[in-house]
Amino acid sequence: MLTKDLLRYKIQKGQIYPQFVDPTNSELLKVAEQLITVFEAATDDKRSTLLENSKTIIDGTSESPIILRGLEKLLLDRTEFDTAPNEELIAFRNRLFTETSRILSQEHFQDYADYHQRVLALMGNDLELPETELHDYLYADLPSCQQILSFRRISPEHLLHRYNTAQVQGLLLHCNSLTLRLTDSMTAELRQLFKYLRFHQLLSNIRKEKTDTGDIFQITVDGPLNLFYKTKRYGMNLANFFVAVLHQQKWELTAEIQFRNKRASQLSIDDSCGIKPISQQFLAYIPEDIQHFQQMLQNKTDKWQIQPGSQFFPLPGDSYCFPDYQLIHSSGVEVAVELFHPWHQGHLLTRLNSLPNKTDIPLIIGVSKELEKNATIAEALETSSYFSHYGFTFRDVPTMGTLLPILNSIMCEG
Amino acid sequence: MEQITIDFDKGTLILQNVPVEIQSQLPDIRWDERTLTYRAPAYRYRQIVTHLRAHHTPYNDSARQFTVKTFQSQKSLTPYPYQSEAIDAWHANNKRGVISLPTGAGKTFIAILLIEDTQRPTLVHVPTIDLMHQWYDVLKEHFGQEVGLYGGGHHELSDLTVTTYQSAVMHAPHYGNRFGFAIYDECHHLPGDQYQYVAISSIAPFRLGLSATPDRVDGKENRLYELVGECCYEAKVQDLSGDTLALYRVVTIAIDMEDTERIQYLDARKTYLDFLRKSNINMGTSMGWKNFLWKSSQSDEGRAAFKAYLTQKQLSFASKAKQGWVWKLIQRHRGDRIIIFTQDNDTAYDIGTRFFLPVLTHQTKQKERASFLNGFRDGSYSILVTSKALNEGVDVPEANVAIIVSGSGSVREHVQRLGRILRKKEGKQAVLYELISKQTGEHSVNKRRRQHNAYQRR
Repeated sequence: MLTKDLLRYKIQKGQIYPQFVDPTNSELLKVAEQLITVFEAATDDKRSTLLENSKTIIDGTSESPIILRGLEKLLLDRTEFDTAPNEELIAFRNRLFTETSRILSQEHFQDYADYHQRVLALMGNDLELPETELHDYLYADLPSCQQILSFRRISPEHLLHRYNTAQVQGLLLHCNSLTLRLTDSMTAELRQLFKYLRFHQLLSNIRKEKTDTGDIFQITVDGPLNLFYKTKRYGMNLANFFVAVLHQQKWELTAEIQFRNKRASQLSIDDSCGIKPISQQFLAYIPEDIQHFQQMLQNKTDKWQIQPGSQFFPLPGDSYCFPDYQLIHSSGVEVAVELFHPWHQGHLLTRLNSLPNKTDIPLIIGVSKELEKNATIAEALETSSYFSHYGFTFRDVPTMGTLLPILNSIMCEG
Repeated sequence: MEQITIDFDKGTLILQNVPVEIQSQLPDIRWDERTLTYRAPAYRYRQIVTHLRAHHTPYNDSARQFTVKTFQSQKSLTPYPYQSEAIDAWHANNKRGVISLPTGAGKTFIAILLIEDTQRPTLVHVPTIDLMHQWYDVLKEHFGQEVGLYGGGHHELSDLTVTTYQSAVMHAPHYGNRFGFAIYDECHHLPGDQYQYVAISSIAPFRLGLSATPDRVDGKENRLYELVGECCYEAKVQDLSGDTLALYRVVTIAIDMEDTERIQYLDARKTYLDFLRKSNINMGTSMGWKNFLWKSSQSDEGRAAFKAYLTQKQLSFASKAKQGWVWKLIQRHRGDRIIIFTQDNDTAYDIGTRFFLPVLTHQTKQKERASFLNGFRDGSYSILVTSKALNEGVDVPEANVAIIVSGSGSVREHVQRLGRILRKKEGKQAVLYELISKQTGEHSVNKRRRQHNAYQRR
């Protein structure tokens, strides 16, 4: 991510506009390529050498230094430095400082040169270095001297997209919450979006809006404490979450950005900004848990097929959730399954509160046995008639032994 | 009617089955549309539970994940009268509040006594890794039991745990219900934009803030008092100097730069100031520095001005004449224990390299940090050079001379640096030297910080 001094933005009439670079700009691509080459060739060099070489490139072009320093920062984030302590040097310093401390306390020196000479004489046998190099050697393990171990290669074009992403992320660090508007046509990308949301400990409020061109889901994303404070406490979580937004096909994002002691301004961007996703998306990939589930289902029945959750599930009160799995019966009946792991305590209580006693299209709730150890959860599960109909508990992963009876009862009800 | 339930969720409390008639009486509880529950910030736990108890309202409390624990100090502890007063004042303030005492007056000792009194799992918050390890050693020594560390690569929680504020910002939402007593050392940090959530996300009913300087220039100390409790006891340096703290004097040495450096300084300063004037940048405003950074990056002239800015600053911080004075003072105080403070790491390493001295900065690795501090305490090293790493809290009672080669205009920083040499020892006379480059910006900086009461002798 970029530090605030490397962010480029303009504020006009209460709107904040990140200053993106053009990822097809041939001049910029050329400089990006040069910087990448310097980083690639730097293995085994010192950090200071790398930075000097990088500075030569930055100073030698007409492109804006702030952009180039931003690219340099993103490349440094991909570089691994040797940070292990230099035991030999640490031991040498210990011997040297014990001696200098002793002579400074006990001996008298005419002047600094006299002291300097005495130190060299004392340490002469300890270190086979010309005296001029002793000064350089003494703290030769500071970060500027750290050796480069590896660098994760990136293409120039990808680096520029990464830069534009970082411009938005740098602003989101200074927001309280963000609002996303997504069309209803999304499928597997949404699954990743909601996984990110939960992973980053964020909460959401989902509302559907009917428009002439179809349904739009409006998702407000923030954290638990936003109810009480206009806090940037979750800025980092929201900035990280933005990576998943880039995988959506049609999206609009708005957020109120407020730097310290400054007036708030509105960030509004959408998929037309042209930033390509910077993280991997494995849409064709079937997650391991689904594969495992599929295998178990096939062993027990051939009537049900399982798929990753791919659409919003309507809940009472005009709100929505995004289930983990979709089970499809050979007759065409579809049933959603939402799992609650030990870290989903708050989410589970919410869901139990929002579900009615009976429903036409059931959402099956799977709850980790770990959560049951909590007295409030245990009581909530015990008193929920919805859970008694459509709920089950699991230890590590759900099993067919607990899920199939519920599926069968749904088919009987149907 | 179903019983009220209270649960802990990511630094907040979730309340369910709250009867309409008491909703408005519980502080800060709000209906959360996102989760369809009532919610409150975790730090309201004590007030909510106290209210329910006072009104004989039954409730099911799953939030609190701690019970009474006995902590018995293995040492015989006799507090000074002012320490007893501070302890009584904290108890009288319902086991909440800030105690403000100068460095060296035994704030940690008070905390040990209060941990023993309070008998609740305790989480101590500190601003630096050095302080975290120092608290760890003290707690271990006094209570002889397992002490957890959270921060600086450690992730162990126990009934007595020490964490850094930085780590707690990340993790308090997960363990904020496991401790009944929260101690905030150097608590003037707590009202920071992010750090305040460390206290907000914790349910700990008993809270203690410790600082020599709880007041903040931004006036946010009121936020501190709201989250931890008001300042219930305060004593100043001059109240305790000579009795509990070492006698001390402050010596300011105004230094002329060498001719070549002065010319270089004046040239660089002119280039820098000319650019500010030409570019219409007012460094006195909040946008000044940002404007300078931006405009100086836009042209060769700007880049030269930025270089000039660094040069004049570096020369005023660490001129050859200052280095000459460092040498004189080292010689004058042979046999004393000296800490040399600088404003930046480069100057610290310049001095360390020139005089072959140990330098302790945030770049020093943990093992060597411990070795430097222990060496200084046991006398193997008589001099330590540091930038800001030793400003706060770290206990080096043997130090009796401080040389400030360069510093910020912050009064707090100066009082904290003075505090490093104030811990009382038999016959100890502490002296703090400030080296000021004449005819530079350092003069006004020095004047600003001398307004603190530590300079107003009895």
